[in-house]
Amino acid sequence: MPQSEGIDPVLNDAYMYVCSSSELEEDDLFECEIGTETIVVGRGEANVYAVQGICSHAHAELVDGELDGTCLTCPLHFACFDIRDGSVLEGPAEAPLQVYKAIEADGSVWVSKERG
Amino acid sequence: MAAENTMVIAGAGIAGVHAAESLRAEGYQGRVVLMDRDRQMPYDRPPLSKEWLTDDTDEASMLLRDPEIYGKLDIELKLGVEVNDIDPVRKTITAKDGSSYDWEKLLLATGSKLRTLSIAGDDLQGIFYLRRMADAVAMKQHMQHVNEVVIIGAGFIGAELASSLRKLGIDVTIVERSSYPMEAVVGRDISASLLNLHDRHGVNVILNDSVVQFNGESTVEEAITAEGRRLPCQAVMIGVGATPNTVVSHPQLEAEGGYAVNEFGETSIPDIYAAGDCTLWPYRGTPIRVEHWDHAVNHARTVAQNMLQPRSTPYTYTPYFWSDQHGSRFQYFGHAKQWSKTVLRGSLESHAFTNFYLDDQNRVQAAFIANQPKNALPVRRMIKQQKVIDPEALADETIALKKVPQKSVMNNT
Repeated sequence: MPQSEGIDPVLNDAYMYVCSSSELEEDDLFECEIGTETIVVGRGEANVYAVQGICSHAHAELVDGELDGTCLTCPLHFACFDIRDGSVLEGPAEAPLQVYKAIEADGSVWVSKERG
Repeated sequence: MAAENTMVIAGAGIAGVHAAESLRAEGYQGRVVLMDRDRQMPYDRPPLSKEWLTDDTDEASMLLRDPEIYGKLDIELKLGVEVNDIDPVRKTITAKDGSSYDWEKLLLATGSKLRTLSIAGDDLQGIFYLRRMADAVAMKQHMQHVNEVVIIGAGFIGAELASSLRKLGIDVTIVERSSYPMEAVVGRDISASLLNLHDRHGVNVILNDSVVQFNGESTVEEAITAEGRRLPCQAVMIGVGATPNTVVSHPQLEAEGGYAVNEFGETSIPDIYAAGDCTLWPYRGTPIRVEHWDHAVNHARTVAQNMLQPRSTPYTYTPYFWSDQHGSRFQYFGHAKQWSKTVLRGSLESHAFTNFYLDDQNRVQAAFIANQPKNALPVRRMIKQQKVIDPEALADETIALKKVPQKSVMNNT
């Protein structure tokens, strides 16, 4: 996972500020919104990642779940996703989560306003 | 005669469909036959009391799986087939229409059936039980001309229906026999808090009373209670519990209170397995029955594995159900017929709390979570681990649930 790629997110309108790096410890999850989309940002195995914040199976906020390493578990029916690429590790969910690019720069966590 | 390499599954509900899929996921190459008395493609049940009634939802969106999946996985779906007779020696199962299916192994996933009431006037139109898609379709059609509904039973189905109907602006009266609905499961305080939620959302709940008669021309117009109340209504919904559907029977098949299965899902007859609502299965050594979605899914998956690799995977699952009512989300983990004490974390008044049910050694046996989804995974772990917990710390919201001190009990399992 690239950490900053030399982008200055403050100058680059494509990214949104999420929280300070120190607020997001290992296995922490943080929820934010981009437009009408709910996003969950997490730190797994030292890197920051961002995926859609509502489970692809039934309506539940993934921020209420748990991140263990890179495995994100939903609190309602316990579907597990790989937070790195949104893929389903364990059902009942079938559809992967949408992925957003997350970066760290200048002691802050930023998430891309566009998917992918 | 017995068919080599054929798995037959009786019942295409949540359990049956997941079992069929699991057989394929585990690499099974033989025939998989999945049969059901319903003529509809297999559908999901929890939304029937919720989104189905409140939203503009069509039948297609209620399906458990895209219909193409069955073909892709080579699962032979036999719908509209009502099975009742088995021959464990010849290894056949026979349907009421005379058709017969051979199996190498058979899975009974026949689910549960609703308790019914016998009340004068119950042949009037507008009186519904909610179990099958057909019930839900008829109910939704009828609801278009209804202002007042009487619901019999304040269990989870009754409560969810009340919540859905209030959302549609319909006047709802629940008639409940007991003074504290679901007290045996959640305890008196939580029962009272659930009643309070109904009250806040304008549901009229009548306790300690029961409906004894329906009046009306062709459609129900009023319900009369034992205490003499006359409740005007254009529809009645009855949710008074369920019993295991053990329609497939045989003298050697133990089915008192559900098909008796061991931790691998084996019934009392070799090569016949059972999974889901229809079973009485051992939870920590005690046979229990669970009628919830999550159990049906997980039990079916585990039993399917054992059908392929006998006695490979014991079922060690923590019972769980959830319920959405009046904008609140409830989650219940574990199983506790009785408890020594309860510990409340959070506030009943604000409907944001977790109530723990502890045994005499202060181990968490069960927990009821209201609008605190973040507690779900830590609570589930606590119940699984069975460590002794400090009740005071458990009640203290300033201590993170994960950090509440726990210790193992050495002399107990």
